[in-house]
Amino acid sequence: MTGTFSGLSPTRWLMIGSAIVLVALFPLVYTDPYYMTIIVTAEVVLILNISWNFVLGMAGVWNFGQLAIYALGAYGAGWLMLHQTWMPAMIAILCGGLFSAVISVLLAFPTLRLFGIYTSLLTFSFAQVVQYVALNDPRGLTGGSYGYPTVPGLFPNMSQTSYLRAYYWVFAAVIVASCLVVAWLRQSHLGIALRSIRDSPGYTAARGVNPRMTRVIAFGLSGFLAGVAGGFYLSFEQSFTTSQMGLTPMSIDVTMLVIGGLGTVMGPVIGTAIVTVIQTILIDYPGWQLTILGATLLVIVIFVPGGVVGLISRTSKRVSAWVEEDSEAVEPAET
Amino acid sequence: MTDIVAIIVNGLVYGSIYGLVAIGMTLIYGTLRILDMSQGSMVMIGGYVGWWALATHGVNPLLALVLAFVVTFVVGTLTELVSVQPLIGRRGEVDFEMVTFITTFAVGILLTNVALQHFGPFQKNVPPIVSGNLDVYHGVSISYHELTMAGVSVLLMGALGLFLARTRWGFAVRAVAQDLDAARSLGVPVSRLYPATMGLASALAGVGGVFLGALYFASPTAGDLPLLQALIVVVLGGLGSLTGTLYAAYLVGLMQAFCEVEIGTTWTLPILYTAILIILVIRPYGLKGSPSEARL
Repeated sequence: MTGTFSGLSPTRWLMIGSAIVLVALFPLVYTDPYYMTIIVTAEVVLILNISWNFVLGMAGVWNFGQLAIYALGAYGAGWLMLHQTWMPAMIAILCGGLFSAVISVLLAFPTLRLFGIYTSLLTFSFAQVVQYVALNDPRGLTGGSYGYPTVPGLFPNMSQTSYLRAYYWVFAAVIVASCLVVAWLRQSHLGIALRSIRDSPGYTAARGVNPRMTRVIAFGLSGFLAGVAGGFYLSFEQSFTTSQMGLTPMSIDVTMLVIGGLGTVMGPVIGTAIVTVIQTILIDYPGWQLTILGATLLVIVIFVPGGVVGLISRTSKRVSAWVEEDSEAVEPAET
Repeated sequence: MTDIVAIIVNGLVYGSIYGLVAIGMTLIYGTLRILDMSQGSMVMIGGYVGWWALATHGVNPLLALVLAFVVTFVVGTLTELVSVQPLIGRRGEVDFEMVTFITTFAVGILLTNVALQHFGPFQKNVPPIVSGNLDVYHGVSISYHELTMAGVSVLLMGALGLFLARTRWGFAVRAVAQDLDAARSLGVPVSRLYPATMGLASALAGVGGVFLGALYFASPTAGDLPLLQALIVVVLGGLGSLTGTLYAAYLVGLMQAFCEVEIGTTWTLPILYTAILIILVIRPYGLKGSPSEARL
């Protein structure tokens, strides 16, 4: 999963293609509404995680305000759906995404002046303040702690099975598209600029890359996707409250990203899948969910720093190195 | 005039408690380069210890404070052993600041949920350390509890200053803050100093938690808001600078009191945040912080 398109062999493309087809056909075979709901919800979280991973992992900006951006997208889309009823839901969601992108770009500017841990503190507090204001908004714009209880969403008046299927396909399409875009961006001019700004800002700027422009674009793209994810969540659940952006969902999302592997293309997908499975198994013990997730996070960060994707790539490297060593052993190098 | 007195009195009280919670974070960051996200949980634990000692067992308030200090010291030490100790010496392999940020955050999640399991989601009433009110000026009054809180905070911060400036362990902490490798080669027992420092910082937050528990409640999420406020104070003061943290704590306290008296509580946090954002854009390392120089 290097993310370079040119480097992918036809076999790899075939594998990716067949995986996409399998994912697309899945809901036709499987219709259990309980698990489908869990899967579709996980898809929304995955979209958010892809957007977050882009800034946090790839650009290396310690942005912990992504959930606020996501919630602002949901509020933006929800407000349009409730108050501008003539507007198609999809357009409302896109507008919510644009709103999030604008806020995200504004957040990019102070992070340019700050370094490392200061950035995380600033963005973390930003998220907390947005939640606080949404919860205590005196003018009723956000609905306070009730949020938006009844939103029509993308597909009103549909039977449950087709409702779940429709959302499943829309979200799956967005996930596949954004994974491909991220994989392409990773090896594009922008992606390389982002990663080199992360690793050596001074040198990159000296080589003629504009750090401000690059980071603003990264924050804009990531913010847009996060906002769209927020709109999707609102549309699927037909409601949105501030509890979707507190410390608890944030810790779950961070756990997903870290378990999967920060900064990789497939990391969010794998991490989201693993954590969702753990959560579903522990559904009868709600109190233990976060305790076990917290412990998992601790163990993974300390013992498996690159997450699952890092582990896989290291193992495969070790195996190939081992194979090479074996072939070298046939004619030992003279010293 | 009444307003001004109210602002100053409340500001000083807020500032003291922020200082107490935030100074631990500064101490940890200055010496260990760790942003301790479990500090909020220590406030929460302190609140529960206060509830357990004062409300259910009727212990002497002073003893309750000491108890909170000891309990959170132990929890803080254990936190360090679990979340930081395994990472020491792997600075090249992992991004130490980022990883410890996440591990201490994970410990925070764990502690919050253990509290949720054990005590349930309902808020517990913590009785005040001292009851009664003191009338300061024409209707502006301050409870003895808040006064004690401010007094104890200042006392503890002073004690911390003396500890760092005069004692052998204090020297060791400052030496590690200046140069880890040099301190280690001169015989500073880093593997014992790290847990002790984190325990000390946690204990300060735990004592703060007993006071805050009586002002608000003891609940599993009681540490979230103090953590946020401490983060704001620490960043504003400049990470790792003790004096900067003190200035910032009182500055934030006074600003909060001003907003509450003149504008209203809803907008206090956003206004505070905007003000700090502006300060940070002008001074990226906070009031007294420096990019990578010696701290403390």
